[in-house]
Amino acid sequence: MTSATAQVTRGDATPGRRRARPGPRIRDIQRAERRKLTAQLSTRLLALVCALGPLAFAGLLSLQNGVPADTLFGVWVHSSGYAVSLVVLGFSGSWGFPVIAGVLAGDVFSGEDRHGTWKTVLTRSALRRDVYAGKVLAAAELAVGLVALAAVSSTVGGLAFTGDQPLVGLSGTMLSPGHSLELVALSWAASVLPTLAFVALALLFSLATRNGIAGAVGPVIVALVMALLDLIGNGTWVHAALVGSAFSDWHGLFAAPPFLQPLLVGSLVSVVWTAGGLALCARMLGRRDFAGAGAPRAARWTRAGALVVIAVAAIGLLAAGTQLGPTTITTRRLQASLTPTFNRLAPVQQRELGRRVPVGTRLRIQPTCLRRGGGAAGPGDDWTCTLDVFIPQAGIEPFQQTPVTYDMSVQANGCYKATSPPSFVGQQLMRDTHGHEVVNPLYTIYGCFETDG
Amino acid sequence: MTDALRGTPSALASTPSPGSAPPDGGPAPAALRATGIVKAFGGTRAVDDVDLTLAPGEVRGLLGPNGAGKTTLLRSLFGLVTPDAGTIELLGRRQVAGDRPVLEGVAGFVEDPRFYPYLTARANLEVLALFDGGAAAPPIDAVLHRVGLGGRADDRVSGYSTGMRQRLGIAAALLRAPSLLLLDEPTSGLDPAGARDVAELVRSLSAAGVAVLLSSHQIGEVGSICDAFTVLSRGRVVWDGTAAQLRDQAPVSAFELATTDDGAARRLATEHPHVEILDGPDGRMRLTGAQAAVDAFVVALGREDVAVRRLELVMSPLEAMFFTLTEQPPLELEPP
Repeated sequence: MTSATAQVTRGDATPGRRRARPGPRIRDIQRAERRKLTAQLSTRLLALVCALGPLAFAGLLSLQNGVPADTLFGVWVHSSGYAVSLVVLGFSGSWGFPVIAGVLAGDVFSGEDRHGTWKTVLTRSALRRDVYAGKVLAAAELAVGLVALAAVSSTVGGLAFTGDQPLVGLSGTMLSPGHSLELVALSWAASVLPTLAFVALALLFSLATRNGIAGAVGPVIVALVMALLDLIGNGTWVHAALVGSAFSDWHGLFAAPPFLQPLLVGSLVSVVWTAGGLALCARMLGRRDFAGAGAPRAARWTRAGALVVIAVAAIGLLAAGTQLGPTTITTRRLQASLTPTFNRLAPVQQRELGRRVPVGTRLRIQPTCLRRGGGAAGPGDDWTCTLDVFIPQAGIEPFQQTPVTYDMSVQANGCYKATSPPSFVGQQLMRDTHGHEVVNPLYTIYGCFETDG
Repeated sequence: MTDALRGTPSALASTPSPGSAPPDGGPAPAALRATGIVKAFGGTRAVDDVDLTLAPGEVRGLLGPNGAGKTTLLRSLFGLVTPDAGTIELLGRRQVAGDRPVLEGVAGFVEDPRFYPYLTARANLEVLALFDGGAAAPPIDAVLHRVGLGGRADDRVSGYSTGMRQRLGIAAALLRAPSLLLLDEPTSGLDPAGARDVAELVRSLSAAGVAVLLSSHQIGEVGSICDAFTVLSRGRVVWDGTAAQLRDQAPVSAFELATTDDGAARRLATEHPHVEILDGPDGRMRLTGAQAAVDAFVVALGREDVAVRRLELVMSPLEAMFFTLTEQPPLELEPP
């Protein structure tokens, strides 16, 4: 007790110094919030999944022959480690990032309600607006940290289990390992802004509902709704405004020539969503009375019911709005993309089969793309493209004056998956000159084109 | 453990805030001055035109039954709720309704202190110190020792009892070396020794110039340590004055009495004009009167060979006054 008192006295001997300091800075509160978040089991589990999940995924992929062919770069996971990282990025964009945002940020505000600690925090020296800023910054920095962790883990896993071979781009070009690494890093970095938009949504759910489960699940549901909205309608405007779509806007980096406009638009949309979400949160927190459990409370069920009605109405409006604006998916663009991609991949296939293809060889191709359901524009999985291939010189079998037909699934963002029956281009897996099973690059073609080009 | 909260007055006292000492050497401004505070929820006025003033070093009891508006008033002072009207001045810093108060130098808690259950007591205080701007003024270990939690500092708060959380709440308040301490039911959940320790701590802080506002619905808990009282009922101030004024106006004490000859005791009481024996709600004798008259009556019983088997204080004068104040409509009460 004596030593304790002495310590207290020493500490109290400098109250003037303490008061001379400025009040708590946002950075201090951010540290406090970071400490709280990192002490929670959910955050630690999330970090564990981000660190080990992609590694385990890469390891499992290396043990089997199959490939996640429905995902961008999925057919190349046995050919280049960079493809593994991009496949993980693709999965993360659908579910992973909204889950990270929800689990991490969905309880930042509601946790204070659940533990009854709002009054503990707000009766300290910190101003309410600084508490808000500190919480937002802590959630954002940890979300970015987890995205980085997944990026490093997936890249290391891909390189360790598959190797750093060149990557086939989305226009059929071969990307050197160094360039591939650079583009992979840029692609992951491009996911940061939309992730932050979902963090803002999670914070909004957390604050509005005062419920951690709603805060965690809300962003995932929003991502699901956006994914569904992305599948309907031919218009551009609503699709461009969906922040969930921004997770895949990195695809333009892998085209030849690369195009950045979707990335820039997606980033801008993410910033708008983030700013809107945070502004709403700030307004809610700034106006909120922490009156305790005993005080009369507004009818929460009425409010919840109103929110549900508003949400359903908003989704309905957005769904109706997916037809607004011009369509960017046209026959001309599709043909202009598939033809050179096929032209670049055909020699790759032939060389892997041991056939000599002179450098610079070009096939003469006459493309014809149509929708089976009629029309010649808009996203959908009913596109068919027939490539009439004319071989200008002998030695490149079996494409001499052969029509190759691809079933096409085209997305609103200009990315497509083209699958050909084996009778035209051979099986999905083929044996190279060393007897190894390799992916037939013409069996499934992933490509992307610039929708405003 | 029983003396865990005791300490020297200087140990946890802080210097007054910069705004609290007038440069001309005149009288120090109030540590707390609330004027015309109104806060309504829906159609109910939880706090209705309340004035409250607290001088530096003063210990004031904020009394009232449950639902009287004490906690809402404290929440208004802390800025947890926004008053609909009125002005609040904390340590010389003035806010009008709608402003968020600056709480530098102000500490305390509202209702039961709450903490992050997944953190240890030490980690909780470290986190709260960051909300105050970084390092705590008194070291965290010292504060934890001061409230008797030194040995449990590294236990998670989820395993703490109510009393331990109450102690930790006091530690969290002391961490800021406050000049104004607002405590809501500070002895709630504490054992008698802990309650006594809190009382001694409050006295020592007061002696060092810290103004303390103690909210309670039981005057017996805080009556002995307060210099002044403000009594609330239905959101309004029904009495405000010093402890001496309250005692002067307090009605007589009531005792439960049991003797070897209750009939003789009743007869004897009729001969003593300053005491009265009534039947209590349980049928037992209830003796009322000023302390001196009760003493004289007990002596008289002995002279009459009537032995006193039990003489138990049922309601102190302050308690009686409290019930009188809070159970009657405010307009019928005599102002101090």
